[in-house]
Amino acid sequence: MRLRLNGITKQFPGVLANDHVSIEVDRGEILALLGENGAGKTTLMNILSGLYRPDAGEIVVDDTPRSFRDPAEAIAAGIGMVHQHFMLVPIFDVTDSVTLGSEVTRGPLGVIDRPAARARIVELSETYGLDVDPDAMIEDLPVGVRQRVEILKALYRHSDILVLDEPSAVLTPQETDELFVIIRSLAKAGTAIIFISHKLNEVLEIADRITVLRLGKVVGTVIPAETTQAALAEMMVGRQVQLTVERKDAARGPVVLTVDKLQVRDDRGEITVKHLDLEVHAGEIVAVAGVQGNGQTEFVEALTGLRAIDAGTVSVDGKAIPGDPRGIADLGVAHIPEDRLRDGLVRGFTVAENYVLDAYHREPYSSGIRFHRDAVASAATKAVADFDIRTPSISTDVGSLSGGNQQKVIVAREFGREVKLVIASQPTRGLDVGSIEYIHRRIVEQRDAGVAILIVSTELDEVLALGDRVAVMYDGEIVGILPAAEATREKVGLLMGGVR
Amino acid sequence: MSRLPIGVASIIWSLVAFGFAVQFFLEKAYIALGVEILIVIAIAVLSRSAGGRTFLNRMKLPVLAIVSAFIVGGIVLILSDLEFYTKFGLDPIGTLASSLGRVAEAYGALIVGALGDPGKISTALASGNANKIGIALRPISETFLATTPLILAGLGVAVAFRSGVFNIGAEGQLKIGAMFAVWVGIWVPLPGPFHVLLALAAGILGGALWGFIPGILKARTGAHEVITTIMLNAIAQQVMLALLLSPVLQPPGGTTPISMPIEASAQLPLLLDLPKLRVHLGLVIALLAAAWTSWLMFRTTKGFEFRAAGLNPRAAGYAGMHAGRTIVLAMVVSGGLAGLAGASEVLGTTHYLSPTISPGYGWDAISLALLGGTRPGGVVVAALLFGALRAGGPGMALATGVPIDLLAFISALVIMFVAAPRLVREIYRVKLTATAPSTPRPQETPT
Amino acid sequence: MRSSSRLLALGASAAIIFAACGGGASTAPTTAPTEGASTAPTETPVESMAPFKACLVTDTGGLGDKGFNDNALKGLKDALAAGYATEIKNLESKKDADYASNIDLLVTDGCQQITTVGFNMGDITATKAGENTDIAFSIVDYAYDPAIANVTGIVFATEQAGMLAGYLAAGVSATGKIGTYGGLPIPPVTDFMDGLYAGIKYYNQEKGTNVSLLGWTPGVGGAAGTGVFAPADNPWGNTDFGNNQAKAFFQEGADIVLPVAGGTGIGTFTAAKQAQGEGKKVYAIGVDTDQYLTAPGFESVILTSIQKIIDKAVADAIKLAHDGGLGGTNYVGTLENGGVGLAPFHDLSNLVSADLSSGLDALKAKIIDGSVKVADYKS
Repeated sequence: MRLRLNGITKQFPGVLANDHVSIEVDRGEILALLGENGAGKTTLMNILSGLYRPDAGEIVVDDTPRSFRDPAEAIAAGIGMVHQHFMLVPIFDVTDSVTLGSEVTRGPLGVIDRPAARARIVELSETYGLDVDPDAMIEDLPVGVRQRVEILKALYRHSDILVLDEPSAVLTPQETDELFVIIRSLAKAGTAIIFISHKLNEVLEIADRITVLRLGKVVGTVIPAETTQAALAEMMVGRQVQLTVERKDAARGPVVLTVDKLQVRDDRGEITVKHLDLEVHAGEIVAVAGVQGNGQTEFVEALTGLRAIDAGTVSVDGKAIPGDPRGIADLGVAHIPEDRLRDGLVRGFTVAENYVLDAYHREPYSSGIRFHRDAVASAATKAVADFDIRTPSISTDVGSLSGGNQQKVIVAREFGREVKLVIASQPTRGLDVGSIEYIHRRIVEQRDAGVAILIVSTELDEVLALGDRVAVMYDGEIVGILPAAEATREKVGLLMGGVR
Repeated sequence: MSRLPIGVASIIWSLVAFGFAVQFFLEKAYIALGVEILIVIAIAVLSRSAGGRTFLNRMKLPVLAIVSAFIVGGIVLILSDLEFYTKFGLDPIGTLASSLGRVAEAYGALIVGALGDPGKISTALASGNANKIGIALRPISETFLATTPLILAGLGVAVAFRSGVFNIGAEGQLKIGAMFAVWVGIWVPLPGPFHVLLALAAGILGGALWGFIPGILKARTGAHEVITTIMLNAIAQQVMLALLLSPVLQPPGGTTPISMPIEASAQLPLLLDLPKLRVHLGLVIALLAAAWTSWLMFRTTKGFEFRAAGLNPRAAGYAGMHAGRTIVLAMVVSGGLAGLAGASEVLGTTHYLSPTISPGYGWDAISLALLGGTRPGGVVVAALLFGALRAGGPGMALATGVPIDLLAFISALVIMFVAAPRLVREIYRVKLTATAPSTPRPQETPT
Repeated sequence: MRSSSRLLALGASAAIIFAACGGGASTAPTTAPTEGASTAPTETPVESMAPFKACLVTDTGGLGDKGFNDNALKGLKDALAAGYATEIKNLESKKDADYASNIDLLVTDGCQQITTVGFNMGDITATKAGENTDIAFSIVDYAYDPAIANVTGIVFATEQAGMLAGYLAAGVSATGKIGTYGGLPIPPVTDFMDGLYAGIKYYNQEKGTNVSLLGWTPGVGGAAGTGVFAPADNPWGNTDFGNNQAKAFFQEGADIVLPVAGGTGIGTFTAAKQAQGEGKKVYAIGVDTDQYLTAPGFESVILTSIQKIIDKAVADAIKLAHDGGLGGTNYVGTLENGGVGLAPFHDLSNLVSADLSSGLDALKAKIIDGSVKVADYKS
C-alpha cells in the first residue's frame, strides 16, 4: 500500500477534529474523501502534509511508519498538495513558480539552471496532458490553468501521492471536465490520488473508492458502482436528505417588486445593467440565471440600496424604493448577500450581535441610546433554536462557524422579521448538501407564506430547482423569462450564452 | 486539569526567586517572598474560574512582552557601558555580576521612583507630618499624574481603532484641546466649579473639532485619515505657537511662547492637599472617561455601529448603517477624549500652555491603544505602566545615573513585542490568544 | 494553561527580584561611579570639606545639545573641580510638567544649589524658589525684575558680541552680503541678529562700504523686526531647513551665514562645507559656544562663534551659594565682564587682516566704555 493513515486523532480546543480516522490509497488509485464542511477533511490533509501533528495514530508510507515534523518532510516522502487557494506569485512565470523553493542549480555559485528546469516542465506537461506554457505569467492565466500549475509543482517535486483539496470549487463545469481527464492520466501513470470534495456527482464520476467522513469519523468506504447520490448524502449528513426541494405549485399573488427600465453603472462608470424590466409577484420565486459578471452583482446592489440607480425605477408595492439600505429594509425587504463574510456578517462579532446587525437600533434591542444586550441574547437564543444554527453559544465569534451555519445566521436575521420580498444572491454558494437543503426549504416556506422571492444565482441547478419562473440575465439585460415547466437545462443554457 | 503542576512550578519559581533575593539583598528578601506568594495565590485563584482563565490568557502576551522588554533593556544597559568591555576580559564573572547588579539597581530605583519606598511611606504616615507624608507619597502621585493624560489620549485612539479609523492625530487633538481649555481658563470670568467645567468642555470641544475635520474629509471625499491627521498635527502645533506668541495667550509684554497662567477658578483641584502631591481630579476624570468609553462601545447602539464599522464596514453598510456618519462620530469622540487629555494637563498640572506641553502623549496613545487591546480597561492598565515608567525615570536617573532615555527604549520594545506575538510565542513556546479584535481565528469547527 | 501559569510566575519572579534589589539600592548608597558625560553620579573629591551639593534641571532640549544644557552641566563640573561643590547631580526634563517634579526631586535629594535652564522654566523656578527659601537657585538665560532673593538670573548681552561678529563678517565678506536666520522670533534669538546688523552698519559707516544683511531687519522704536525663521514645530533641530536656507543665501550672493537656531545651524554648516567642496569661499558663524570645538568636522567653515560663557556664569553662581550667598541679583554677561565674546578664529585667522583685527579691538573697547551702543545702530 502506497499510503495508509492509521487511527489518526486530532483534538482542538473543544473540537475532536479527527477521531481515529483510517484511510488508505494505493498507486494508480483515486480515493475520494467525501464530507461536509467541518467533517475533518482539511484537518486530516494538514496532518498528512506535515502542518499539524496528530495526537494519536500513524502515517504509513510504503509500509514504513513516518512522522512529519514539517511540510518539507512530507514533500520528501512524495506527498504533493494542491490547495483550494493557490500558493502562486502572480508576477512570476510558470517556470519560476514551479521551481520556486526547489530550484535546479549548477556550478559552484549555484546559478539557477532555468533551461533544464524549463525542459523538465515541458516534458511533465506533455506526459500528463497538462498543456501549460512554461513562459506564461501566472497573473495572465485563467483559474483552471493556475490549478494545473499547482499540479505541475507537485509533480516537479517527484510527488506520487497527490492530494487535491476541493479542486472543482473554483472551476467552471468545462474546466472540471478537463481536470478529470488529467487526474485519470496521472492515476494511469501510477500516482496515488486523494480527491477531497463535498460534491456527490463529482466523486461518483472520478473516484475508484469513496471514504465518507462525518464529524471527524470515518462513516464508511464504498465504491461508486455500488452506491447512489442519495445513499452517499445520507452517509455524509447522517440522515435522509432531500436532494430536490419538494414543493407545491406557486399561488401567485399581486405584484410586489417592479423593476422598470433599470440602468446601473459599475464602479468604473460603465453601464452594466441596461433597461432591465422584471416583476416579482407575492408567493412566487423568480430565479435569475446567468454567467458570473453579466451585471447581476450591480443589479442586486441597486435593488438593495447599495448602488445608485442611474435611470429607471424600482418599486415595492407600487412605491419607489428609497436610496439607502435601511429605508429599503424597512419596506419589508430581506437581503441575503452574495458573499457571506464580506457583506453579510461581521467577523469578530458574536452570533448574537450578527443576528441583530440590521435591527440593533430598534425595540426591543435598543431604547434610543442604550443597547440592550439581554434582549439581544434572548432573541438570538430563540433564533439559534428556530433555525438550527449549530454554534457552541450565542457568544461565539460568527467567523468560527461553518459556512452553512454562517448562512443560517443571515437567514435567521433576514427571515426573522415580517418580510414581503426576499432578494437572495447566491444563497448557497460554497455550502454542503445539508445546508443547501435547509436554506432551500426555508426559502420555499417563505414563498408558501406569500412572500415574493427573487433569487440571483450562477448555479444552474439551484435556479432550476427553485424558480417558479426562470429569468436569464445576459450582458446587463433580462434576455428571456421561462415558466418552470419550460425551463430546461438546454433552453436556459442557450440564453445564458446570449443566444435568443 | 493540571492544578497540581501549576502549584509545584510556582513554588519552585518562588524558591528560586527567594534564593536570588536572599543572596543579593538580604534585608528585603521577605518582601520578595511575600509578593511572590501573593502572585502565586492570585494566579491559582484566577485559574479556578473560566473568567479568570480567560483573563490570564489575555494577560499572557502583554506580560511576556513587558518582561522581554525589560530583559532586552537590561542587556542594552550592560552593553552600553564602556567599562564593561575593558573589564570583561580581566574578570568575566565579576564584571558580569556587577553589571547585573547595576541593572537590578536601576530597575529597583525605577520601581521605587514610580511607587515609593514602603518603609518611608509607613514611617511618614506614622509621624503624621504632612510634609513627610507628601514626600513619601510623591512617587506614586507622580505616576498617577503622568498616567492621567495617557489614559485619556489612549482611550481616544482606542475608540477610533475599534471603529476602523486609524486616528494618529491624537497629538494635535490634545494640543488644540489644551489651547481651548487654556483660553477659557484665562479669559472667561466664571466662579469656581463652573469655570473649570467650562474649560474642560472647551478642551473636549477643541479636540473634537480637530477630530471632526479628518472625519468629515474621509466621509465626504475619502481622504485617508492617516495623511490628514498627520498634517493636522503639524497645523495644530503651528496654530498653538502662533497664538502663544500673540496677545490671545501671551501675557502683555511677554517675549516667549508661554501663555498667561489660568485663573485659580479654572484649575482642577488636587486630590490630596499635601505638599509635593500634584495628582489632581484629572485622574478621576480619566477613570470615569474609561468607564464611559466602555459603556459607549459595548452598551449603546452607537458603540455597536462603531464596532461593526471597525470590523467590517461593508457588512455594516449592507445592514443599513451609515459609514460616513459613523466615521465622523468616531473621530469626534476620539478627538474629544484626546482634547480632554490636553485640558486635564493644562488645567490640572501645568496651569499654563507652552509648545512643550506634551512629550508625545498622542504618539504614546497609539501604543497604549494597541497594548491595551483597544479595550478601555486594557488602556488604563497600559497607561499605568507607561505612566510609572515616565514618573520613575528621574528617580532612577538620580539614584543610579542611568539615563532616562533607557525607558523610552523599553516602552518601544514593549510595543514591538506586542506587535510581534509570533516572536513572543517562539521565545516562550506558548500559545497566545489574540488581544487585538481582528485576528484570524481557526477555520474549522464542527458543524 | 500550565505553561502560561509557569510563565506568569516567572515574570513575577523576575519583577520581584528587581524590586528586592531596588529596595536594597535605595538604602545602600551608590558606590560605583559611572563614566559618561550624560549623567553625573555622586563624585566625592579626596580632601574633606563641608559637603555642598549642586544640581541641575535641564529643559526639554536635554543634554547633548552642545548649547545651554551641556554648558550648564560643564559649569557644575567646573564647580566640582574647583571645590565649590562636593557633589553634583542632574535631571533631564521631557515635558513642561517635569520641571516642577524634577526640582522637587532634587530638593528632596538634599541639593543646596539648583540651576535651571531657559525661559520655559522661568515661572516654575520663581515658584520653587519661593517654596524653598533656604536653597540657592540660578537660571540660565532668564532674569527677574525685580530680582528674587534666592535666585541668580543669568542673562547675556549677546547683541554686544553679535556686533563684533557683524563687524568681522563685513570685513571678511568678499561679496558684501551676509545672511542670518533664527529659530523663533523671540528676543534671546533676535538679540544676536540685532547685534550682527549693528556691526555691519558700524563697519559700513567706518569704511564707507555697502555690506548688506539678508534675513533680518531690526524693528525700530519697539516694533518687532522682520526676518527669516525656522518652521516653528522644530526650530532647534531642523537641519534640513538650516541646509536649504544656507543654500538660498549663497544663491543670493551671501558668503557668510549666521544661524541662530541651535542644532538647525548644523544644517547650515553642512551646506557651507559642501559649497566649499565646490570651490566657493563661504563661511558660517557659530552661536552660544565655540562651535569650532563643539561641532567637530566643520572647522573649515566656522569663522568664529558668538559665545555666551554659560559655564563660567553657572560655576560663579554655585561659588556664590557655596560661600553663603543665595542670589538676589541678575548676572548679565557682557564684553566687559567676559560673559560674552567672540571665539578665536582658529584655522581661519588668515582671513582676518591686521587692520580688521585692530578695528575689532577698537570697537570692543568702545562698546565696553559705552561710547558705542548697539541700540544706536539698529536702523
